[in-house]
Amino acid sequence: MAIPEEEEEQLKNQTPNTDTDEEEEDELFNGDDDEFDDDDDDEEELEIEDSSPRSHKARMENLFRRISTEGVPLRVHDVIIKGNTKTKESIIESELESLRDATTVQGLLQAASIANSRLNRLDIFDSVNITLDSGPPELPGTTNVVVEVVELKNPLTGDFGIFSKPEARSWSLEGSLKLKNLFGYGDLWDGSLTYGWDQTSEVSAGVALPRLKGWWAPVMTRVSLLSQDWMKFSSYKERALGISLGLISTRNHELASTFSWRTLTDPSQMASRDVRRQLGHGLLSSLKYTFKIDKRNSPLRPTSGYAFVSTSHIGGLVPDYRALRTIRQEFDLRYSLPLGFYHAAINVGVAAGVVFPWGNGALNTPSYLPERFFLGGNSSPVCTLGGPTTLLGFKSRGLGPTQPRRRQVGENGAAAENSEDSSSERDYLGGDLAVTAFADLSFDLPLRVFREAGIHGHLFGCAGNLTKLTENAFRYLSFQSFRDSFRSSAGFGIIVPTKLFRMEVNYCYVLKQLEHDRGKTGVQFSFSAPL
Amino acid sequence: MDDTGELTLVARKPSFGLPTSCPQCLPVYIYLKFAKIPFTLSFNLVYPDSDQIPYVESGTNVAYNNEKGGVIEGLKKAGIVDLDSEASALPEWISMTALASSWLGDAIMYDLWLNSDGSSARKIYYDDLPWPIGKILYFKQVNFTKQLLGLTRENSERREEEIYRRAEIAYSSLSTSLGDQQFLFGNRPTSLDAVFLGHALFALHALPETSVLRSKLLEHSNLVNYAEKLKVEFIDNSSPSSSIPPLHTGGGGPSNWSSKPKTKPKKEKTEEEKKFKRRTKYFLVTQLVAVLVFLSLLGGSEVDVDEDDGDDDHDYDD
Repeated sequence: MAIPEEEEEQLKNQTPNTDTDEEEEDELFNGDDDEFDDDDDDEEELEIEDSSPRSHKARMENLFRRISTEGVPLRVHDVIIKGNTKTKESIIESELESLRDATTVQGLLQAASIANSRLNRLDIFDSVNITLDSGPPELPGTTNVVVEVVELKNPLTGDFGIFSKPEARSWSLEGSLKLKNLFGYGDLWDGSLTYGWDQTSEVSAGVALPRLKGWWAPVMTRVSLLSQDWMKFSSYKERALGISLGLISTRNHELASTFSWRTLTDPSQMASRDVRRQLGHGLLSSLKYTFKIDKRNSPLRPTSGYAFVSTSHIGGLVPDYRALRTIRQEFDLRYSLPLGFYHAAINVGVAAGVVFPWGNGALNTPSYLPERFFLGGNSSPVCTLGGPTTLLGFKSRGLGPTQPRRRQVGENGAAAENSEDSSSERDYLGGDLAVTAFADLSFDLPLRVFREAGIHGHLFGCAGNLTKLTENAFRYLSFQSFRDSFRSSAGFGIIVPTKLFRMEVNYCYVLKQLEHDRGKTGVQFSFSAPL
Repeated sequence: MDDTGELTLVARKPSFGLPTSCPQCLPVYIYLKFAKIPFTLSFNLVYPDSDQIPYVESGTNVAYNNEKGGVIEGLKKAGIVDLDSEASALPEWISMTALASSWLGDAIMYDLWLNSDGSSARKIYYDDLPWPIGKILYFKQVNFTKQLLGLTRENSERREEEIYRRAEIAYSSLSTSLGDQQFLFGNRPTSLDAVFLGHALFALHALPETSVLRSKLLEHSNLVNYAEKLKVEFIDNSSPSSSIPPLHTGGGGPSNWSSKPKTKPKKEKTEEEKKFKRRTKYFLVTQLVAVLVFLSLLGGSEVDVDEDDGDDDHDYDD
């Protein structure tokens, strides 16, 4: 198995300089301490007999050369865990499995640093130290691994921040409390409260377990109550009380199961017909699988690499036929091509998504309103990876199928005189099929002060379309009509990344929009969370 | 509303042999039938706790139940239909209407939610919601009804007695007022007829046989005959065009007060349920197999570690 590049570099870069304390040495060898017995003939290659600096240096050089070029045999005899008063040993041992399989010094070093990072990633220790001690004298070529952990002094941490999520149209305040390792199983409990400017609020609590009875992946479960206010765009408010269970969460794969009770209400009683029909309660029991590969060099300003995300969401996985039954599939493909001057790069991306109900009578049933696709908003398409959501130049939920709202009726029964069919009197219903594409050329600005601050410019072009498929609408959809109804926009702007947020100032020109779309040509600001 | 577009009445689902089994929706249905206006009947099955239902749509105009005194008032004000143009000036008519809507309305609410085993309420409102939601909403509604009727642990008996006594008074005065006439006031139906007929049909068909209110109503034979006759004339004989999701209608014999709730639709529903359960079982098993196959494929190799820090990138692939 090839050593990862960084590992190899680390190993090669370690100079046997006894004057400076290298962290790697400290961790793995405990440097200058007499961890290695002089009279241990098993550890001959690691012994430091001569105390003179030059010979010591020569020996260390020799040692490291041998380690990096040859497979010096060494195996683990015993793993000793120290410092865990609350944490169960099984949790620590499960992160050290790779150590026992190591057969050479190289392999052991790798495994030790991996185990170190895994233990740190559990987020329940203040510090982790892995040292290699000499094995028992009667067993040659063995070592004892000593894992010393310092548990968190204060298991309770709090967090407070201001974020902007791509799907929300404004900022949100988020406060969270985390309680770590309450029961010693590496359990992480957290509660968070999020409040958005647009009256979106979410209260949630969750627990994450790194190991659950032999299940190889961490398990997370979360209970949340989310309220979202879409009154301005679609005349409904959504409240979702749900419990979700994260079954698999790795770099590339994520599988989660969710049960959620959703309620759609319309306090204003002005909703359009289609929205009125969907008001009420529903149970969405679903399985969501996300496959993600992100080989770009940066998620915020990628200049090379590619990324692909596929999300599959199936709802209705309960024997109860009354639960919401829906299938949703999204794809997102990105590619970045560096241009070699001014740190410029071309980013292109295409995303598509489809949602459809399933089950008896699915062809005549509309798709569930909150599960539909909505396009629009100011968030940058380069940074938001995961399905068709943004189209610069159009307001949030600003395009796609619409329907007139309830007509205002005056006191005497006559229709109100104002706003017959202006777009503010229409509900944006979202669509069942969404496709977006963008191309973005980013480049450094000529002035050095901008370059150093990370401020760069970009030219972009976006296109997208959103259409309905359900209730037999797909029969009237043709490739030609879909292609002809694509909306598009283009523009340029400046991106200013700061510590608190990432700001984009764009001038957007809407090239094509249809009747009732809310595209706006002009200067737009968008804020997003910095990474 | 000056639209001359088609009317749509959105109500709760039909059952117990009634075109819509919700006691708030039935009077509106009957009112439109009295007015002989063509309309489409549509159902909302997932919003039992809404006070917006029933509502009538006509194009982009809507008359909600919780606005302007109700749907019937809304229809009057919009100029669509007004059956009360003559009667509404009569003080007796006004007081009868108040009696029917408040006292009888309270009695129906009490009997349906608080003085029965809840089977009728569940069938009308919660049958189409998944079980946990239906159960929680049912209990919420029971509590809400208690608050609305001003019931507490101390006064519950007294209030119950008062509610039924008032219902009895209302029945007696309506019975006296009706006599042998076809309608309660004059020779044309008014909204009072719609309200009372809706109440009576609900009490006779949807409430269980053990219901106190039902037995009180059965004591007034002229009211029972009135309800039976008008049901045959305006509801059973005319066929409403309805756009509903596939549902059994719970239809059966026209007027057999002592008959049990129809068993035939129940049988169909059980069969449909069984079919669904079987299909869903197959689907779930397939999903499980797919997940297991996926896990075994991925579980053969070490897992990619998901790094949150992003600083040291330790990939351990086999």
